[in-house]
Amino acid sequence: MEEISLKAEQIFSILGFPITNSLFLTLFVCLILITFSVILKRQLALVPGKLQGAVEMGVEALLNLMESTLGSMKKAETYFPLIATIFIFILVSNLLGLMPGVGSIWIESHGKEVPLFRAPAADLNFTLAFAVISVIMTNILGMMAIGTFKHISKFINFSNPINFFIGILELVSEVAKIISLSFRLFGNVFAGEVLLTIIFFLAPYFIPLPFMFLELFVGMIQAFIFAMITLVSISIHTAEHH
Amino acid sequence: MEEAGLLGQLGINWKLFLSQAFNFFILLIVLRAFVYKPLLEIIKKRNFKIKEGLEKAEEADVRLKEVDVIAKDKIKLAENQSVEIIKNTEQKAKVLDQQIQARAEEKQKEINELLRQSALKQKEESESQVYGQALELVKKIVAKTVELKPEAVDKALVEKAVIEVKKNEI
Repeated sequence: MEEISLKAEQIFSILGFPITNSLFLTLFVCLILITFSVILKRQLALVPGKLQGAVEMGVEALLNLMESTLGSMKKAETYFPLIATIFIFILVSNLLGLMPGVGSIWIESHGKEVPLFRAPAADLNFTLAFAVISVIMTNILGMMAIGTFKHISKFINFSNPINFFIGILELVSEVAKIISLSFRLFGNVFAGEVLLTIIFFLAPYFIPLPFMFLELFVGMIQAFIFAMITLVSISIHTAEHH
Repeated sequence: MEEAGLLGQLGINWKLFLSQAFNFFILLIVLRAFVYKPLLEIIKKRNFKIKEGLEKAEEADVRLKEVDVIAKDKIKLAENQSVEIIKNTEQKAKVLDQQIQARAEEKQKEINELLRQSALKQKEESESQVYGQALELVKKIVAKTVELKPEAVDKALVEKAVIEVKKNEI
């Protein structure tokens, strides 16, 4: 049975910059999404085609969900790019991580065999980057929405000891949020990879199929959860507190 | 590549971390420029057009109903006016008919008067002609009588005169 590594393996380096198999697939995801967006942009019309219609359906569904959470369509449209990008990026990364070839094509690097591709979310750098971006962006958006001092006063408040203590808790919860977001996504995807590797090793035909569907579902759900937590966080930080 | 401690064991590397964050922001910018912004604009534009179209359709419906009412009113008015015009025309025709009849009767009377006067004139002229001829005849008779014997002539003259008079009267 192949070795399961917690860390993404380096496959090569460019000018001393390490390229891991996870980052390699992330670059593929970026390339696919950028190509897709350029193609879509060329096809955009007032009377939509099939591709535009499908994308619009998804966009409107997400916008309506955001409107119900944020309370207004204007807010939903403002924060839509961040939430949609988080959702799409994680979703496509998770789906590509289940494609044939991911984890099964091996190359030799630094004297040992390593897989060429690895699901991006099975690397803690990816999930941690997303979690940090999510938390930092929600705080920045909160500052922009209600004012910097008002927002900071949620964390540092000397008006009375209770508020000061609550502020400290809020600060800790933001750090905890980074950890929970990153490890939840990493844990789910990495566990899925481990599960699939074991199942493929034990029974390579037919049996892994339900597990593949399970991982497909987990990949979608995790992308949705990550985006929704960020959305709820934005909703809390951009609301005036009394 | 390896970081020391717990972070290293988990595979966290600040270069990889930053490159993943960089990837995200690149994708965010591209998707925002190529997908979200134009797509939201198109959706807004379409919604506006649909709203505008529906409003115009409603407005057109209302106007159609108004025009329908106006058309019905106009038709009713036109019908009333036509009935009125026909009535007036009939009355005028009656009056005109009466006037024409009166004028015709007057003309008839004038013609009759003219005919009567003309007949009278003709009668007078023929009478004066008859008298003239009678007078001429009497002169001729008198002249011939002077040339003949008085007794025989008287008798013949008288008879002749009587015959002549009878002839002229006829």
